[in-house]
Amino acid sequence: MSFEGKLALVTGGGRGIGRAIALKLASQGADIVVNFFRRREAAEQTAEDIRALGVKAEVIRANVGDPAKVDEMFDTIGNKFGRLDILINNAASGVGRSVMDIDVKAWDWTMDINARACLLCAQRAARLMEGRGGKIVSLSSLGSFLVWPTYAIVGVSKGALETLTRYLAIELAPRGICVNAVAASFVETEALKFYFTEGLNQDNIPTTPAGRRVTPEDVANVVAFLCSEEAFMIRGQTIIIDGGSSICSPLFSFKKND
Amino acid sequence: MTVEEQIREIIARITHVDKSLITREATFKDIKADSLDIVQTLVAVEEAFGIEIPDEEAQKFQNFGDFVSYVEGRVVQKERV
Repeated sequence: MSFEGKLALVTGGGRGIGRAIALKLASQGADIVVNFFRRREAAEQTAEDIRALGVKAEVIRANVGDPAKVDEMFDTIGNKFGRLDILINNAASGVGRSVMDIDVKAWDWTMDINARACLLCAQRAARLMEGRGGKIVSLSSLGSFLVWPTYAIVGVSKGALETLTRYLAIELAPRGICVNAVAASFVETEALKFYFTEGLNQDNIPTTPAGRRVTPEDVANVVAFLCSEEAFMIRGQTIIIDGGSSICSPLFSFKKND
Repeated sequence: MTVEEQIREIIARITHVDKSLITREATFKDIKADSLDIVQTLVAVEEAFGIEIPDEEAQKFQNFGDFVSYVEGRVVQKERV
C-alpha cells in the first residue's frame, strides 16, 4: 500500500484519530494537509512528526462548521497544490445532552461540523480531484445506531454522515472517486476522556470480544486501506471497527483486558 | 467601544447573561456558560478582533479579566505587525 505522490487533507488532523490517520497516510508516502480549529500546538506537532517521515506537511486552520472557512481552506489548497487525492472527513464536535435538553444552538453546532462539513468538503474536494479520481473517507461512530448516554445529537449527525456517504459514493463514482466511512466504538483518545467526564461511567463500557479497546491506530489502518486501490470495489460502506462488541450479545462473558 | 466592552457584549449575546454580571473577576462557571458557549465566545472574539486564541491559551484564563488582557495584548501585537 503506497500513497507516494498523493496529497491528503485530514480535517481535525492534529489530535486523536485524525493525527493517527495523518501519520499512517504519511508513513505510506502521502503529503498531508493537517486541518485544525482549536489546538494549533497539537496540529503543528503533528505536522512536524509527518515531516520527520520524509513527506510534506501543511497546517491550515479552519472551523469546518463555517462554510466560508471551508472555502478559504480549499482555496488555499487549490492555490498551493492545485489538486487533492484523499479527503478524510474526521473533524467532529458535539454537545453531550439528553434529548430533552437539546436546543437549536447545540443541534446546529454539531450538525454543521459533523454532517454539513462532510458535504461541503466533499464538494470542494471533488473539484480538486477532477480528472484524476480520489478517495473520500468520513469518520462516523457506532453511536449512529447504538444509543449512548448524552450522545443524541452526535449520533444523529453521524447517521446523516453515513447516509451522505452512500449518496456521495454513487454520485461521485463516475468521477473516479471512492467514498466510504468508518464507525468505531469507544476509541482511546482525549475526546473519550471528555465524554466520560460529561456523561458516562467508564465501567459501563461493554467488554470487547477482541480483548481490548479500539486505538486510533486501529482506525487509521482501516482508513488507509479504504484509501488504497485494494479497496476500489468498496463503495458507500460504513466499516465497523469495534473488536466485535456491537454484534456481541450481553449473554456472552469476556474477560475485561482494558 | 473598548476591547473589554466589546468582549462583554459578545459574551452577553452568546450566553444570554446580563452584562452587569460579566465583571473582570467573573468566570464562565459563574455565569453558567457551558462548553459550547465558551467555544462560540472564543470564535466570536477571534472574528471580531481578527486574532487567534488557541485552546492552549484560553485554558490559562482564570477569569474575564485575564481573557480581556490576553485579547488586548494580541490586538496591540497585531497592530505592530
